Amino acid sequence: MKNFILCVTALLCFRVSYAQTNKTFGKGNIKGVTVNASSNASNGIKTLMSTGYMPNSKASSRFLSQATLGPKLSEIQGLQNQGIEAWLDQQFAMSPSFNLQNYVQNMHQSMVDSLTARNPTGNYTLSNVFIDDWAFDVAWFQANMVAADRLRWRVSLALSQIFVTSRISAFDDNPYALASYYDMLNKNAFGNYRSLIDSITYHPAMAVYLTYMNNHATDTLAISASNPTKKQVFPDENYAREILQLFSIGLFELNNNGTEKKDANGKSIPTYDNDDIGNLAKVFTGLSWSHSRYLGDNNNVTKWSYTKPLKFFPRDSSDKYIRWWANPTSWRIVNGHEPGTKTFLNQTVPSRPVTDGKLDIKDALDIIFNHPNVGPFMARRLIQHLVSSNPTPEFVDRIATVFNNNGAGVRGDLKAVIRAILLDPEARDCCAEKENVAYGHLREPFLRYMNLVNGLELRNQSGTYRNVMVDLYDRIEQKPLYSPSVFNFYQPGYVPDGPLQAAGKVGPEFQMLNSLSFANYMNGLHKWIISNDPVEYWGIFSGEVYKPDQDPNFNISADYVLAKDNRIREFLDKYNLILAQGRIKPENMSIIQNVLLNMPMTYDVNGVPDATLADRRLRMGIFLIMIAPDYLINK
Amino acid sequence: MNRRNFIKNIGCGAMGSTTLLSSLTSLGALNGLTSTKSNAPGEDYKAIVCILFAGGIDSFNMLMPTGTTSGGDNGFSEYLALRTDLAVAQTPASFLALNNPQCSSFRGLNCAYSAYGVHPQMTGVRDLFNSGKLSFVSNIGTLVEPIATPSQYHNSLKKIPLGIYSHSDQIMQWQTSVPQSRDALGVGGRMADILNASNSNNGISMNISLAGKNVFQRGKMVAEYSISRNVDPNNVGLQSFPTWWGNQGILQDMRINAIDSLVGQTYSNLLQKTYSATAKESMGSFEIFKEALKRVPTITTTFPNTSLAQDLAAITKVMSVRQQLGTKRQIFFVTYGGWDMHDGLLGGLNSRLPVVSQAMKAFYDSTVELGISENVTTFTISDFARTLTSNGNGSDHAWGGNNMIMGGAVNGGRIFGAYPKLNLSNTNDRNISYRGNFIPTVSTDEMYAELALWYGVSPSDLCYVLPNLGNFYSYSANNYPIGFMNFNQSPISSVNHPLDCLTY
Repeated sequence: MKNFILCVTALLCFRVSYAQTNKTFGKGNIKGVTVNASSNASNGIKTLMSTGYMPNSKASSRFLSQATLGPKLSEIQGLQNQGIEAWLDQQFAMSPSFNLQNYVQNMHQSMVDSLTARNPTGNYTLSNVFIDDWAFDVAWFQANMVAADRLRWRVSLALSQIFVTSRISAFDDNPYALASYYDMLNKNAFGNYRSLIDSITYHPAMAVYLTYMNNHATDTLAISASNPTKKQVFPDENYAREILQLFSIGLFELNNNGTEKKDANGKSIPTYDNDDIGNLAKVFTGLSWSHSRYLGDNNNVTKWSYTKPLKFFPRDSSDKYIRWWANPTSWRIVNGHEPGTKTFLNQTVPSRPVTDGKLDIKDALDIIFNHPNVGPFMARRLIQHLVSSNPTPEFVDRIATVFNNNGAGVRGDLKAVIRAILLDPEARDCCAEKENVAYGHLREPFLRYMNLVNGLELRNQSGTYRNVMVDLYDRIEQKPLYSPSVFNFYQPGYVPDGPLQAAGKVGPEFQMLNSLSFANYMNGLHKWIISNDPVEYWGIFSGEVYKPDQDPNFNISADYVLAKDNRIREFLDKYNLILAQGRIKPENMSIIQNVLLNMPMTYDVNGVPDATLADRRLRMGIFLIMIAPDYLINK
Repeated sequence: MNRRNFIKNIGCGAMGSTTLLSSLTSLGALNGLTSTKSNAPGEDYKAIVCILFAGGIDSFNMLMPTGTTSGGDNGFSEYLALRTDLAVAQTPASFLALNNPQCSSFRGLNCAYSAYGVHPQMTGVRDLFNSGKLSFVSNIGTLVEPIATPSQYHNSLKKIPLGIYSHSDQIMQWQTSVPQSRDALGVGGRMADILNASNSNNGISMNISLAGKNVFQRGKMVAEYSISRNVDPNNVGLQSFPTWWGNQGILQDMRINAIDSLVGQTYSNLLQKTYSATAKESMGSFEIFKEALKRVPTITTTFPNTSLAQDLAAITKVMSVRQQLGTKRQIFFVTYGGWDMHDGLLGGLNSRLPVVSQAMKAFYDSTVELGISENVTTFTISDFARTLTSNGNGSDHAWGGNNMIMGGAVNGGRIFGAYPKLNLSNTNDRNISYRGNFIPTVSTDEMYAELALWYGVSPSDLCYVLPNLGNFYSYSANNYPIGFMNFNQSPISSVNHPLDCLTY
C-alpha cells in the first residue's frame, strides 16, 4: 500500500499502483492538471490524491459539487490554487460555525422585543409568543449563506437523510426541535459514528419521532389490588427496528464491500428477526423528557424540552404523582426499564439492576456499532449522497475499511470516512463514466435549488436573509428535516424503471422524479430564475416593516455584456462550469445557444446590449442549463 | 397523436401565428370529443382505484367484533381483553353496527365471530357496507404460499415474506404481491401491461398516480403518469412567461422545443438516459392532459377538504374525461399516510378514520353521479396490520389485517376471508407472537386475482399478473378466488395476451 507509483504521461493520465493492481484514470480529460509531488503517508487512500493534486477548473467545480451544496466561481478558482487536500484540511479544522438553535432563539427574542416595543404592557415572552417551524428554515438558509464550513453542511444534510427525523410529526411547529437536532448532526458530522448514534438516541426529537419517549418496560401485572385485570403492555419496537434497518446495519448481512452475503442456497442472510427486535425494544425503555418527574410524564413539555437530552427512569413511579392523594402503600410502582438479559444480534446485554439501565443502552449501542455491517452500510450511504448512486464494491470496500479502522486503530471516524470518500479515485476520476455507465447521481431537487443560490451568488448588503422556503417545499417536496417518513425522501435501493433497471443499478433520487415533479421543478426554476424570485420573505409579526434587503434576488447585470451575440457562448461556458461542472455536452450547448440567439436583442450606439433583453437572454440560458440531463446528473 | 408529432405536422413556420392550444382544441372538436357525465349503455370502461394507507393501519381497530355472549360469540369481550388501553370503546354499542355481515370461512379456517361493527367515526363506510356497496376482507396479508399453522411459520416449513414487519418491504409487497422478491413489478403495472392495448390512446398512461412514483403501477411496458390533485388545465405542464416579457407565445414555444431537444438527445450514461426518458415522456403528455381537462363537467358531489378526498375528487374528474383521454381501462393510485401509530393510536385513528370514511363515501357517490359506479372498484391496502397488544399508547408492526373493497360491482355488505380469533392462546392457529401478530389467512394474490378477473384479465394471463397465484388458486368457471366481486355484468375475459408467465 505504501509504495505506489504516480506518473504523468503525455496524455495527463495517472497510472497508480494500488494494492498490487494498476488502475488508470484520467483518460486525458483533466486538462491542466499539474502534479507536484507524491506523498509517503501511510494511508494509501489518503495518499492517492494527496497534496499533489491540483485540479483544473472543471475538476475543481466537480469536487465542490460533491463537497458543498453548490460551487461558487470564486471557490472554484480558490480551490484550483489551494488544492483539494489542503481545502479538506482547512474544512475539517473548522468548528461548527453556526448554531441554528441560537439563531432561532435570537429571532424569537427579536419578535418578543418588537412586540413589547409596540405594546410595553403586553407581557410578551419567549413562552407566549408563537414561533413556527419555518424559523428553522430561515436559520438553515442563513447559515448556508454565511457559513464557511461548507463541507460540514454538505455532510450534515446527508446525515439528516440517513438518520431521519422530520417535522411531519408531533413537533411539526417547533423550530427549536428541528434546530437542536440539526445542530447535533453538525456537531457530530466529523466526529465518531458511535457518539453520533448516542446523541441521536438521547435526542428528544428522535425519541418522539420514533416513539420511544416514555417507552415502558413490559407490564402484565394486575391493574390494581381491586382490579385483577392484567395489563398487556410491551416495549415499543419502533426505534429498535429502525436503528437496525436504517441507521446502522440494514436487513441483510453484508460483505465489507457492501454486497450481500449469501447462504449455502444462495439466499441473503437476514441480520435479525422479530425476536431480536423484541429484545432490543426492551433496551430502549425508561427514557423520558429531561424535566419529567416520572416515566410517562408529558406535562409541561415546551419547545425547549426538545433541546435537552433524555433522562433515564429505572422505575415507573407515575402513580405516586397521579394518585398523590392515595395511601402510598397502594401506589403501583413498577419497572420503567425492562429488567433481565436482552439478546439480539447473537449477543447479550447482561442482566443488571434496572437502576443501571443506561448501561444496557450503552451496551446495545456498542453491539450495534461493532456489527461488521456498519462500515459497508455507512460507506455506501455516504457515497450515494456525496458522489454516486452505484459505487463499485471496491470503492465501498475501501471506505468501509477506513470506517473499520481509520489507520490509528479507531473505528467509526467519520472525518476519515468523508476524507476517504472524497479523495477516492472513483470519486475524483472525472472519466469513470467510460467504465461505469451508471456513474453519478441525480441531483435531488433541494440541491438544485442550493446549486442555483450558490452558483449565482445570491447576496445582499446586510448579510441577513429571511427565506422561509415554504413555497419551495410546496413545489419540490423537499427541504431539510421534512421527510415524509423515516425512510427519507427516497430510498437508497430505489430502482427506477428503464435503463437503470435493465442494468441492475439503483437510482435513489429518481424516486422523487415523475411527470408532476418534473413540471413542478421546471416551474420552480421559472419562479426562481425567470421571474427572479428565489427567496420567500415572510413578516415575522404583524405590522413589521418589510425589509427588502433580506429578500434579495439574483443580480446578473455583471454578465449582461456576455449577452451579446458574439459573447453568448462565454456566458454559457461560465455557467456550465459553475452549475454543471462543464459537463453540458456541445450539442446541448448549441441548442441552448440557438435559443438565446433567437431571442430579441438590441444594442445602443456603443454596442452595449439592452439591459432588459440581456437579462432575459441570460435567465433563459440558466434555466435551460438546469433542465439539461447533463446538469441533472452529477457525474 | 402526441404533441411532438403535432408540432412537426404544424411546421415551425406556423408556430408563431397558430398557438398549439387552439390547434389542439379544434382537433378535439373535429374528433367530436365531448364530455359526458353519464355512462353510455354498455360502455366498456373499468377503473381500479388503489388507496394505500401508508404506515400500517391498525385495522383491528377499524373492524371489530361486537358479540358479548358468554360461551357464544363473545368477540367484543375478547377484543377488550386483548387490546386493553387500545380498545376504541368499552362497550360494543359504541361501534357502528354492520347488518348481517355473513362472515364466512376461508381455506378451512372459520370466521371467529358473527357480529361486527366499524369504528365510531366511520359512518360513511358503515352506510356503504349496509347498502351493499362495500365489503371487508379479513385477515389478509402478504404470503408466498398458504401458512396453515404457527408451527409452519416458526419452523420455516413454508416460505415467509422477505423483511416481514419492515415498512419498506411490506408496503412494497402489498403492491407487488411477490413477497419473495425485492425486484418485482407492481400488480397494477402488470395488469396494465396486459390490458393497455385496449386503450385507443396512449398519450397519457392508463396508470395515473396522485402519489408520484409507486411500485403498484409499475409494469414492464407501462409506467405511471403522476398528476396533481389540483386537476385544472391551467395547472398542467410548464407555466408561461411573464406577460411583460412580450412575445410570450414564441418564447414559450422556443423554450419547449429546446427542452424537448435537450431531453431528446442520446445519452450514454444510464442515469441521464433515465432522467431524459421521464422528462421526454412528461413533456409529451402535458398538452394532451391539459386539453382533456378542459372538458371536465361540473361535478356536484361534495368532497371534504382533506388530502384523501381531494385526491379521489381528482380521480373523478379524470374519469369524467376518459373518452377524451381515449381510455377504456384506468388504474389509479392514491396514498393517505400517517398510520404508523406506535404512539397516540386512539387519537390518531379518531382523526384519520373519518377522513377515510368520508372520502370513500364521497368518491362512491361521485361515481354514481358519473354513471360509472359499477365500472369502478376501489380497494385499500396498507403495509401490515399492527400488534393486538399495546406498547403503552400505541401498537407495533404485525402482519395480517383487514381491508375494504368498494364499488357498484362489489358483492357488498359482507366480510370475506375469515376474521381471526382475538386471543393469544396456543390454540389460536393464526397467532405467532406474544404481541398478537397474525398469519394472514387470505393472500394479497387472491384479492388481486379477483379484481383482475373482474377487470378483464383472462384466467390464462393471471400468471403474468400474479406469479404466485398458483400456490393459492386456480381458475375454473364460477369458482372465484374470494367472491367479493359480482361478475354478472363482467364476463370472464377470454382474450389472452402473449406475455409469458412471470416467475420469481
